[in-house]
Amino acid sequence: MTAVAQDHANNHSEHAASGEHENHGIQRYVVIYLILLAFTGLTYVTGKMDLGDFNIILAMAIASTKATLVVMFFMHLWDEGSINRLVFVLSVFFAILLIVGVFGDLIFRLPVTMPPGMQH
Amino acid sequence: MSSSEAHAATGPNAYLAHHFEDIGTQNYAVRLGMWLFLATEVLLFAGLFLGYTVYRWMYPDTFQAAAKLLDLNMGTLNTVVLITSSFTVAWAYHAIKVNEIKKGIGLLVFTIICAFGFLFIKYGEYTHKFHVGLLPGKWYAFTGDGAPPGPANIFFAIYFLTTGLHALHVIIGMTVLVFVLVRTLKGRYHKDNYVGVELGALYWHLVDLVWIFLFPLLYLI
Amino acid sequence: MDPSSRPQSTDASEAAEPQLPAISYLNQTRGLKSWLITLDHKRIALMYLVLTLVGFLIGGILAMGVRIEHLTPDETIMGANTYNRTFTLHAVAMIFLFMIPAIPGIFGNFLLPLMLGAKDVAFPRLNLLSVYVYVAGAALLVTSMATGGVDTGWTFYAPYSLSTPAELFPALMGVFIIGFSSILTGLNFIVTIHTMRPRGMTWMRMPLFVWGSYATSVIQILATPVIGLTAFITGIERVFGFGFFDPAKGGDPILFQHMFWFYSHPAVYIMILPAMGVISETVAAFSRKNVFGYSMVAYSSLGIAFVGFFAWGHHLYLSGQSSMDAGAFGIVSMLVGVFTAIKVFNWIGTLYRGSISLKTPFLYVCGFLYFVVFGGMTGIVFSTVSLDVFWHDTLFVVAHFHYIMVGATLMGFLAALHYWFPKLFGRMYHEGWGMVSAAFIIVGLSTTFIPMFFLGNMGAPRRYYMYAADGQSLNVAATAGAVLTAMGFVTIAIYLIYAIKNGKVAGDNPWGASGLEWKTSSPPPTENFHTTPIVDEDPYTYRKKGEEAEHVVI
Repeated sequence: MTAVAQDHANNHSEHAASGEHENHGIQRYVVIYLILLAFTGLTYVTGKMDLGDFNIILAMAIASTKATLVVMFFMHLWDEGSINRLVFVLSVFFAILLIVGVFGDLIFRLPVTMPPGMQH
Repeated sequence: MSSSEAHAATGPNAYLAHHFEDIGTQNYAVRLGMWLFLATEVLLFAGLFLGYTVYRWMYPDTFQAAAKLLDLNMGTLNTVVLITSSFTVAWAYHAIKVNEIKKGIGLLVFTIICAFGFLFIKYGEYTHKFHVGLLPGKWYAFTGDGAPPGPANIFFAIYFLTTGLHALHVIIGMTVLVFVLVRTLKGRYHKDNYVGVELGALYWHLVDLVWIFLFPLLYLI
Repeated sequence: MDPSSRPQSTDASEAAEPQLPAISYLNQTRGLKSWLITLDHKRIALMYLVLTLVGFLIGGILAMGVRIEHLTPDETIMGANTYNRTFTLHAVAMIFLFMIPAIPGIFGNFLLPLMLGAKDVAFPRLNLLSVYVYVAGAALLVTSMATGGVDTGWTFYAPYSLSTPAELFPALMGVFIIGFSSILTGLNFIVTIHTMRPRGMTWMRMPLFVWGSYATSVIQILATPVIGLTAFITGIERVFGFGFFDPAKGGDPILFQHMFWFYSHPAVYIMILPAMGVISETVAAFSRKNVFGYSMVAYSSLGIAFVGFFAWGHHLYLSGQSSMDAGAFGIVSMLVGVFTAIKVFNWIGTLYRGSISLKTPFLYVCGFLYFVVFGGMTGIVFSTVSLDVFWHDTLFVVAHFHYIMVGATLMGFLAALHYWFPKLFGRMYHEGWGMVSAAFIIVGLSTTFIPMFFLGNMGAPRRYYMYAADGQSLNVAATAGAVLTAMGFVTIAIYLIYAIKNGKVAGDNPWGASGLEWKTSSPPPTENFHTTPIVDEDPYTYRKKGEEAEHVVI
């Protein structure tokens, strides 16, 4: 691709990503809001049930779904360009890395290195 | 570019800073800046979620018992309040973007009221806990029914740190929204200049996002 | 006569008698207030210069305190408690007041808009805010020093940091607040690089200093909040006794170490990546050759930033961390060496068959290469768990990180300072004194830290007030090296300050270097360029005699 076309492509994608969102009405906000309320109800009901270890997994799955909906639609990442999405995804990735890295240590540590009274 | 500046700039270009090439680039830059800032907030709370993960793994019985001592109904109400406020602030942004300024103002006011509501409920929860001694660290003094085994003070340390930091962000978010509201009232935000509203809304959505995760972790499981 | 509209060439000998521009960013507006509320990135850069050098001075004086104390195995000039405070505050001042903010705050701020042909950074007001946030944090840190200081080591490990009688709270809050300054700078740079490149400057036509600044900024955004939180929680612990890290209350002190090092390891890459960017620029300028393997050097900056996040556990090998994690972290830590090696080999490839210009910045380039190779190699061996078991918390560690941080990063800083000094102030410093000081500093730093490699290998612990008597000769040698280094710095201060007003006028491009910053006057006007440049050539345009310039059609 010549430098000219490459450059126009760059400028073009950057301006498309300037995120001047098309006007799409508020229906999508209403729909997402209702879905969020429904999921909240779901997590309330399932939270009270005793499903053992699955409780945490289910709660986190519901929370992640709700969060994704908020990020995509209320925060407009659905409409926006790739760089904002990359920023958000990277931040979540490194947050997870922090937790996984430390947790990986935790589960393999010798008991003598753990605080007294540990219940595991 | 300088020739258009010679006449009074109208429309979106009235809000163009001198060092940006055009308003599209400026809006893009400002949004990117906000997302980067939100990234730092995600990492900030990540440390607290790490603390939760670590101590929950170490003291599962304590955490499960202690979670029952929290008021689930209040927590759920707070969740609904925040989700609603997220909806109304997103709607407010849309309204201002299509120049329905009065509606936008009303929605912003409603969002701020929701924020107050959240803090009010939280205040109620906190005072109850102070009253019965469900406090972190050396202040823990709970002796009632359902006292958790093990170091419950750790659970409450996590509880107060996370909800406290979150409440601080609610206050900051509220202040930002008041700022946006004032500017809208003064006529500065409208269909030709609405990116500021979006930035304020983005911060508010983050506050909601953190709570979406805090609620099940602290209250439900 | 408008200097920036003269036809530009990269041949320095063409300039006749250069003139200092009558109006530049330095004197366009006058008065203290115009500086204190400036939005001009160049003035903000100078503010950072003054502020970070004050931090460096504080850290340096404390370093001399440590070295003088170690002239004898027992008490020399201070008691044990004072010693603990001295080395702690030396590190805190050096790291938070100088190493992290200096090159981005000074040279990033000054040069990024110039290198990108822009009028300013993306958010000039946030830029000014970052200066004042820095001042607030620095004031808190200095307060903590004045109220008796901190004695935990700069790493503030729990549980001692929870129970020490020292006044930790101002120091912790100072660190927390200075972190915000770092975040604001990083945020500004990322947005500037994404949105303010000139027409024709694609990512692969950006100067390598910009790539280095970009990678640094990514780390600043992602890592700094975690240290902020850690300092915040520790402060809350001390005041309210929450028990988060306190084993007596069920907390986990190793969790503190994980959280602390999740930031502090990537932080060392915040310190070195900008310096590496500087080296890329200067190695090209002083061998008059395009950087060899430009794209690999660019990508390796991102590589170091990325991999640096996965390596923090190598600080925790002896803390009680699981051996599973230790092994994993060890392997990943070695990967950083790959990216660093890519850079070093490409720089050497640049030097090879270049037309070397033996000036002061080039001496610092050579110093950098020497320090980064030896400091880096000792880093690689540290990632081997079985070796670290022996060397952990010995002077070997101290020597390793000083080689990299003081040796490499400081070389980068000094190279930048000398290379861009004419651009900042419009005048040249005295080359002879520059070379002499560079020699003093490189020799002095080596003399300070090579004995520590030996001492550490013999088992001498770090942060210990006393040492075994047979280590005295090496300790004295180290102190002698420190004195040599200090002499070098004092000399630099003298001739640079002198040159600001009295140096020979430099002209737009005294080095004959390529890069947009050299295409405007020295010092630049407030708006940087009189007309927005269009970039139609590669970032490095050094060419051999007779070669045609390559221009790309826009």
